[in-house]
Amino acid sequence: MIGFFKSLAVTLQSMLRKPVTVQYPGEHLPMSPRYLGFPGLLWDDAVDEPACTGCLVCARYCPTDCITVSMKDNPLHKEGKSKRRKIVDDFQIRMERCILCGICVEVCNFEAIAMTDYHEEADISRGDLIATKEDLFRMGRDYQKRAGIVVGAGSGSEGEE
Amino acid sequence: MTWADVGWLVLSVGLFLGFISFVVLFLTYAERKFIGRIQQRLGPMRTGPFGLLQPVADAIKLLSKEDLVPGRADRFLFWIAPLIVFVPAIVIWVSIPFTRDIVIENLELGIFFVLAVMGLSIAGILMAGWSSFNKYAMLGAVRAAAQLISYELPLLVAVLGVVMIAGSLDLQVIVAEQNTVWYIVLQPVAFLLFFTAGLAEVGRTPFDIPMAESELIGGPFVEYSGMHWSMFFMAEYANTFAIAVLTTLLFLGGWRGPAPATGWGQDVMMAFWFLTKASAVILVIFWIRATIPRLRIDQLMSLAWKVLLPLAFANLVMTAFYLFYGWPDWSIVLLSLGLLMATVYGYYVRRRSRLPRPVTVKLRVRQGRIVG
Repeated sequence: MIGFFKSLAVTLQSMLRKPVTVQYPGEHLPMSPRYLGFPGLLWDDAVDEPACTGCLVCARYCPTDCITVSMKDNPLHKEGKSKRRKIVDDFQIRMERCILCGICVEVCNFEAIAMTDYHEEADISRGDLIATKEDLFRMGRDYQKRAGIVVGAGSGSEGEE
Repeated sequence: MTWADVGWLVLSVGLFLGFISFVVLFLTYAERKFIGRIQQRLGPMRTGPFGLLQPVADAIKLLSKEDLVPGRADRFLFWIAPLIVFVPAIVIWVSIPFTRDIVIENLELGIFFVLAVMGLSIAGILMAGWSSFNKYAMLGAVRAAAQLISYELPLLVAVLGVVMIAGSLDLQVIVAEQNTVWYIVLQPVAFLLFFTAGLAEVGRTPFDIPMAESELIGGPFVEYSGMHWSMFFMAEYANTFAIAVLTTLLFLGGWRGPAPATGWGQDVMMAFWFLTKASAVILVIFWIRATIPRLRIDQLMSLAWKVLLPLAFANLVMTAFYLFYGWPDWSIVLLSLGLLMATVYGYYVRRRSRLPRPVTVKLRVRQGRIVG
């Protein structure tokens, strides 16, 4: 009998609290820093070129074979502006095959790829599910800016761990 | 009866029908919003500003759905059952006064007529359950019948107390008699009984055992779709509103409240007070729905026959003594509160008697050892 009125009080109290609903397509919750979203390519702002050399390590280790990479000679290296001899020519990830495992990030020798917090992968045609180089740089550079990642700021690849 | 009378009647009935339909549509929206807020959600938000067009969207969806009839159903009964549920839910509004002047046809047997016609809908529900050729529908219909028959008695006996004090079955007279004190003060027991039994009567949670989505998928309405289903739905909401309105009229003083003595301002204020009180009762109904889980069917039956009905008769006898001997008003208030406290006390005594007793074992100890 007392429990009846207690329960009524509980529901009344919960009504006075703020609703927790987030009106999704309009508002977004901030993603957790460790969230594994879609991989994106990072940009070396010091030289103003991609950090990726197109070395194919990610493509070879990818368990679902969803990455296609090709490399070319770096024109900036000839001019002496960049340390990178080779640079990425084309880079594609098939979103419908990628399982967001993060292995490409683990194996990358140049810290040129990172798991961003992008997660809205749905699209209306199969062709749109291929992330081109431009898409990957867009996601990667945006994430870089928000997360404060600077390419080359660390100790590099060797002796890090 | 002249043509003008007929025209006036048709117009007023049309206005009332429109008003009731509007209220029913708005209640579905209000319920979803209110319960959403209790569960810390927003409720419908997408259709129109704050989701205000949600009832319209629902109505369009239901209208455009196919009206399925099960292959082995009794087609005639299946078709007519929703009408038999729906028509009484609308007919009762003919004799329910909204203010002193706004009423289609005030009957001297007003409350009697309303409760009698409300009870008719059970026939439609039984027909729906029987004709659907579905065991869930049949079970739901049988449960609904058992529930309505059980709760009709305390409901009517509770209303009797009010009717005895007012000395009339006319709803306008009952409201007029509450000019000094509302009957919720003189008849608190009857108020609680009427409200509880009313909830059971219209099958709202916690008494939605006939519908019981999680057990019976929807009770007698399992096989219905489209417009036929929405007629059951509208009847349920119209009946919920009717119970709220009747509670207002019988116990909360109807349209009584601060109002100017004459002119159109009086009518507006009367309607305002009436609708405010009815809305408050509706919100309490929604609030209870969001709080209390469904009763078991044996709890439902024992509540009706072992608690509500004896209480109703006790209240009736008490009221009869009060009226016959002309006791002062405070005496019946005290007696009612005493009756309620006795009920609560009885509840706790009974509950304690049913708790498992602590087991006591006597041990005989001799020289530090247990010997049996």
